[in-house]
Formats: sequence, C-alpha cells, structure tokens
Amino acid sequence: MEMKRRIFLGGMAASGAVLSMPAFLAGCGIQPAKTTAAPAPENPFLQWFGVDQPTVARVLAELTAKGADGAELYFQHQRGNYLGLEDGIVSRAYSEILQGVGLRVVVGDQTGYAFTEDLTLPSMLAAARTAAAIANGGQVVPPQAFNPRQSGNLYTTTVPWEDVGVEQKLPIVQRVDRRARAADPAVQKVSVYWADVDERVMIATLDGRLVTDHRPMTRLSVQVTAKRGDATQSGFSNIAARADFGWYTDERVDRMVQEAVDRTLVLFEAVRPPAGEMPVILAAGASGILLHEAIGHGMEADFNRKGTSIYSDKLGKKVAEPFVTVVDQATIPGERGALNCDDEGNACGRTVLVENGILRSYLHDSISARQYRVTSTGSGRRESYRFAPMPRMTCTFMEAGPHTKDEIVAAVDRGIIAETYTNGQVQIGAGDYTFYVKNGWLVEGGKITAPIRDVNIIGNGPESLARITMVADDARLDTGGWTCGKNGQRVPVSQGIPTVLVSRMTVGGENAA
Amino acid sequence: MQPDAAARAADAVQMALESGAADAFAVENESRDVEFSYRDGALEKVKDAISRNIALELYVAGRYSAHTTTDLAPDRLRAFIREAVALTRALEPDEYRKITPRELFAGRSQTDLDLLDPAVAALDRGQRLAWCGALDGAARTDARVISATAGIYDGSVASSAASSNGFSGSLHSTYCWLGSDITLKDRGDRRAEDSFYAGCTHIEDLPPAQGIGETALRRAIARLDADKGPTGRMTMVVDARAASSLVGRLLASANAYAVQQGRSFWGTRIGQRAFSEKLEIVDDPLIPRGLASRLYDAEGIAAKVLPIVTGGVIENLYVDTYYGRKADMAPTTGSPSNVRVGTGTQSLAELLEEAGEGVYVTSWLGGNADGTTGDFSLGLRGHLIENGAIGRPVGEMNVTGNLRTLFTRLEAVGNDPYPYATILAPSLLFPGVDFSGA
Repeated sequence: MEMKRRIFLGGMAASGAVLSMPAFLAGCGIQPAKTTAAPAPENPFLQWFGVDQPTVARVLAELTAKGADGAELYFQHQRGNYLGLEDGIVSRAYSEILQGVGLRVVVGDQTGYAFTEDLTLPSMLAAARTAAAIANGGQVVPPQAFNPRQSGNLYTTTVPWEDVGVEQKLPIVQRVDRRARAADPAVQKVSVYWADVDERVMIATLDGRLVTDHRPMTRLSVQVTAKRGDATQSGFSNIAARADFGWYTDERVDRMVQEAVDRTLVLFEAVRPPAGEMPVILAAGASGILLHEAIGHGMEADFNRKGTSIYSDKLGKKVAEPFVTVVDQATIPGERGALNCDDEGNACGRTVLVENGILRSYLHDSISARQYRVTSTGSGRRESYRFAPMPRMTCTFMEAGPHTKDEIVAAVDRGIIAETYTNGQVQIGAGDYTFYVKNGWLVEGGKITAPIRDVNIIGNGPESLARITMVADDARLDTGGWTCGKNGQRVPVSQGIPTVLVSRMTVGGENAA
Repeated sequence: MQPDAAARAADAVQMALESGAADAFAVENESRDVEFSYRDGALEKVKDAISRNIALELYVAGRYSAHTTTDLAPDRLRAFIREAVALTRALEPDEYRKITPRELFAGRSQTDLDLLDPAVAALDRGQRLAWCGALDGAARTDARVISATAGIYDGSVASSAASSNGFSGSLHSTYCWLGSDITLKDRGDRRAEDSFYAGCTHIEDLPPAQGIGETALRRAIARLDADKGPTGRMTMVVDARAASSLVGRLLASANAYAVQQGRSFWGTRIGQRAFSEKLEIVDDPLIPRGLASRLYDAEGIAAKVLPIVTGGVIENLYVDTYYGRKADMAPTTGSPSNVRVGTGTQSLAELLEEAGEGVYVTSWLGGNADGTTGDFSLGLRGHLIENGAIGRPVGEMNVTGNLRTLFTRLEAVGNDPYPYATILAPSLLFPGVDFSGA
C-alpha cells in the first residue's frame, strides 16, 4: 500500500496483474435492481436502479440537510466482461459488476463523501447523513422533482455490449493469436486480452437535473514474445474505443497484430541511445503522452486553485511558439476519452488549453469553476461511485502545424525519434515529467539510422513546451487504450499529436565506458 | 460480521455447484475506508464508506472463469452465478486449470498475526482532526509553503473464503496511514514538492503526527533549487524508501506466470547465483502486524516463509498452482506478501561516505522495466554525493541499465529497512551506474 499521491499514465497493465484480470461473460445481462414497486415508466434509468423521483429527492434532502453549495447522487451500474487467450486457447474469463451510488455534498471547497452498494432507502439515507456531516448549518431547498436530461450521443452504439455473446467475441481473440503466430517464425508466445464494458450512470443534482448516460467501452490487446538465438524480446499493441462490436473490422484487428509483431521483432536489432540531452522527435499519435504529462495535468484546476501547479500564474501568457495549439476535447465520437457528460452531470465540450502559444484555460470541475467564477468545462470525472470527482483530461491533442515530418527529421543532426510508449508520470509543482519509450529510432545527420528501445525521457513541462520548435501537418489521434491515474483514481483517456520536434530533452541511455 | 461473511462465501460456493460447476472458490470481501483530508488549516474532504463484494472462481467441465459483483441481493446473486457458470461452458477447456489441491491448504500457521487493532474502529472525528491539526501545524512552519495537505486514511479489510473442496478461512486487519503533501515556492514559477506518509496496522505503532509532518516538510525543503546533475557513469546510493520500489521492479517477473510465458529473466536461473552475494530476499507472510501478513494466499495455499534469493542465489519464485502445472514447478505462493530484503551493518551516512562521489536517489519519477530482458530506465530525484556526504539536490535525470546486471553489482546494503511498505528494503549502494542529466 503506497499512500503517496501520484499521477501517472499507463498504456497497459504491467506484469502479473493479468493473472486475475482477463475474463469474460456475455450477453443476456443480469436483470436490473428492482426493489420497490416500479414507478411510472418515466425514465428507464430510474427503473434500472430501482428508485423513483421521490426517493431520489428524499435522499438528496438528507444529504443537504446541513447546507450545501452543491450536491449530487451518482448512480452507477457497470458490467465488464473480459477474455484471455494464452498458449493458443481462450481458457479464462472474468466478469465484474459494480453497482452503487456515490453521495457528495460540497460547501465552499469542502467535500463530504459517502457511497453505498445497497440501493435501499435506509442504506442511502445513512450514507447521506455520513456525507452531510462535513457541513454545519445553512439552509438549502432541495428539488422535489427532477428535469430528466439525456446527454448527447457520441458513442455510436447500435448493439449494447450486454447483447453480445461470448461466442461472437471468441473468433476475434482467436484471430489475433493466429495472425500473430503466422507473422514470423520467431514468435514463441502470444497473449490476447479482450475487454468490453457497459456502464450506466444517472446523476441527480441539487439544481434539479437528472442526467443519464449509457457508456460503452472496449479494448483488445496483444502481447508477443519472440526468440532469436539466445535473445528473447516481448512487445505489445492495443486498441480501444467507446464503440460496439462492429468496430472490430478484420483490417483494424490485423493492423494491431502487425504493429505488435513489428514492435517486438525490431527490438532484436535495437540499441540503447547515448545518454544525455538531445533533440527528440515525437512521432505522430501516441506521443500525445507529452501533452498529457507536460501540460495537461498541470492545467487541471484543482492543482491551480491550490497554487500547487507550475502553471498557476501563467494564464494568458505565452508558453509556446505561435504554431502550438493544445486542446482537450471530450466530444470526439467513439474515442476512448469521449464523454457525453462528465461525472457531475455537466455537459462536456472542447477546452483550448494553449491557443497559438498562449495559455488559455484550465480544466474545471464544479468546485474550481465556482471558485474561478467560470463555467465548468465538464472535466469533473471519477473512477466510479466509490470516488468524488475531480478535474481530469478526456481526449488531449495538439493541432497540426506548418512543417512536415521529413523536414523535422532532416533538421536533426543527432537525436532520437520516440514512437511507442508504456507509461508516463509528472510532478505538478516542479513541472518535471517523464515518459517511457519502448520503441524509437536514432537520427544522425538528418537520417534515421538504427532502432532504439527501453529509454525513459525526462523533461520539464513549461521548458519542453517552449522548446517545441517544429510541428508537422500530420496530426492524428492514437487508438491505444490509455488509462490515467490521479490520486488513486483511474479513468480512460485518449491523446494525439502531429510529428513534433522538441529541441532538447534528457534521454536515458548508456554512457561510453 | 465474520460468521455471516463465512456463511455467505459458503452459500456462493453452493449456488455455483447447484448451477453445475464442478468446483468453486468464493471470497466475500468487506472493507471500511475513512479519509480525512485537511488543507491549509481547514478540513477539505471527509469520506466514509463500507464496500462489499463477492469474488468467485468457477471450474466447469474443465473450463475456468472468475467473477466479482457488488450486487449481493440473494436472488440477483443467484442469477449472476447461474449465468457465469453457463458462460464458462462457452470457453475452451484447459487441462492445467484445477481448484487448489487440498494438501496445499494444510499446515496453516497457528500464529496470531495480530492484524486487528480495535482502536482503529474506535477512531472518532476529534482524534482524526487532532492528527490533521498536528500534521498541518508541523508542515506550515516554513514561510515558503504554498500549500500543505494532511491526510488520514484508516479502516479495515475483512475477507472470508470457502471452497467446494473444503477450504475455509478468514482474515481481518486494520490500517491507519497519516501523512502530508507539501508544496513550496521555488525559483521562478517552480514549486518544490514532496510528501511523507507512515502507516501501520496498529495506531500505537505510528510515529507522532507532528514528526510525520516535519519529515514531509524536511523532504520538500530538500527539493528546493534542484537542478540536473551531470551525465555519466557513477555510483548510486538508493535510500530505503526508493529501494523498496526498486526491489519491487526486480521482483515483478520473479513468478511462474512470467517464466512460463517466456517473459522473465529469472526463469532459467533457479539454483544459480544470479545476483550479488549481498542480495537476500525473503517473502515472509507471518510477520506479526505486517502490512501484507496473511495465513493463506489468494488460492488458499497455507502461508510460509519463502526464501527468494539467498547470497545472490535464486532459491524460489512465486508459483501459483496453475502456472506451476504449466511450467512444471512446485507451487509456492502466487503473489508476494511482506518482502524482507537483507540488511547490513552500515548506516545510510556510512554508505554515502563509502560512495564518495555519485548520485543519492530519494525517489523515482516514471520509467519502466522490461521483465523479459531486465532492461530498465527510470526518472529520479535526489542529490549529488559530494565528498562522501549529501550534496546539491538534483532532478530531471534518468538512470538506465539492466536490473539483473544492476543487482549483480550491489556492493553494500544499509541497516535501515523502510518500515512503511510491504517491501522492507534498506538503503542500497551500486557502483558503475549510467545516469543521464545535463
């Protein structure tokens, strides 16, 4: 148990955690909770959770009995199904149901929080009283009725995951295994993991909104181990989206497999670069990890209202060249980071963090928005009903710039290209951040000369932003299954970037003896 | 509470058998978690909740699956299990997947692990606030403090397990963690920051809250005006807290799963000298009041002390029953409990003196390691070692190499095992390590 608050981004669950993870389950979902006589069919989400409007109002009244500036009930039902293939067989499955309600009351910047997995009235009232203890005195008038709001539809789901049987998923998992083994005789072991998640949230707010969202998520990953002579190397690839079964076209799946095989086999020839400071070219796509670590976290308003971020005093100031624009946008259909509404029930949108080199806006939840007297950017997210929301990223990317990839490579005399990543981390105050490069290339005399592997890159956020000297026209989003961890809460995110040159960063590597 | 939980675990096993499972292993988990967070002189957040779930492993017609649910109403739990059993049949059979053999349940230690402190359940708001005040008071004695957050995390974890082949057991433990995160004004827009948390199963074993806050402040002050150190090959001294996580990376592929999947540099070296003779690692689940102590593991295997590395020789790996069968290795235990790393006689100051010049690492930032090859590259924060003592603070540096080679070079170990982690490691000294900085 490590209590230190930390911030990290992970591309893939590392190590033996997979032992207990992969699993499955399929269609014909468990029936929803139906505890009391069902109310009029006013809202299928109310029915799903077995509550009616008077019950929700009663609990919200208890929650705010000692006063509140804000409060909400966050009902969530999440069902995840996982399959694992190892040694040629799909011989393990895992399924998980998470159901509960999180109750939060906010007074100023003080938060009282409780949750319960027992959705009966007495249990919810008890949890409400626990959370309400943060407040003392003060009067609010809680709503007696709620205004139902369906959030948008970014997820383009025609068939919900609960209606997809395991027999439909097996052939995809088996295809990944078959294709990977056939790709090269050096391939010794192939592991494939499948995940699909069906999530329903219903948020009842103190200002009388009842916001609902039905969120799908799926992820497919493959790990390849290859052997040549005495050397063994392993690599991986994964794809993820808020999409349905139809997203898995043969072409998409095969491309992922080929990526994993290519990334593994190139490691046999790969070297460690020389250690020290040098120019770093960030390949388009997954290199958006730079934005996530170097600026994204530092722009989350909770760190700024506390004054703990290195960006706390920089709004409106120049932080990068005029061709640098960085955006966090939840409204890109189907992306892993996409959201119709945030976990406080606020609408999601597009927040420009850096516009033509100028720092523009933080990412706000309702607490920071009240403090800064701005509208929430819809960035209040949480891992589940077990946690209070806080400002988080969704899909973070840089817009295209004026240069080309070829121009950028030609401009580097001695440096590296960073291409695939496993994880990153940042220190909010000092601004130092890192990301781990699994695959990349050495650049010498403006030409790509050799593959490299396994180096950590470390930099300082504001310094690195200022050192982005070229941005190419090839912006793209990465489809990898990134998960962001902050203060113990994990949420899905996505990221993207065009090819970019950072003129100087510290690259882990080897020193001449 | 415990008898009920045991009955519910047994009921879940029974439901699985009635639905057609050949075998089942069920665990009911219940936890209470309380969090008080106090920022800059005022209470910021209070969280208090009880969480319950049932986790179930199913063995159905030579097939295997695992399931977890928080929806425990009996009728819906029954439907969940029925469906889970039906779906297990859709998988491919796996000859290696069998419920834990009964003989591995046998020989459970009778030791009283003393993991339950009634004083934790009795904690009240007044005591937690008093701790917050003491932590906060100690942290904010320096004018450069921009923000200080004190945190109290306490609660209990209880689980009861039952299996269709006769396993039953229960564990109940408490925990209490106190600490502070501190941010200081540094040069320019920079903030220096660090944190320190201490945690124990018993409140009486905790150091005073004020001392914890003072340690956090001292660590944060040590980060002021940090700069990059030089690039080069130097001696590295890792402090006990950072050593705990470095040993964790070393152990990440010390298991039958990684070996059987061809993704471990440990696998082919059992019985061989693979590391420095200074390296001793023992998995010890039976430490009274230990943060990861247990009488049985996740599969029900009776817990015992397991030497992993003795005098640099690999003695045992973590082997669960499934990958043990697949890799033809005798099962030990599937996952680490408390890990004791052998200590020496030298203090940290003596290690620094022995190093003379080099880099003293106090924490890591990001980075990763490849369990297949052992290659690693980690971000770090710490100090230069100058004339055998702690010198100027450094950050924004990487250390890069291979874990196996690194631990082959381990030259000295300290006498100061870090108590607030499940890996109890002392300070470590390694010569000839590659650093990248300015």
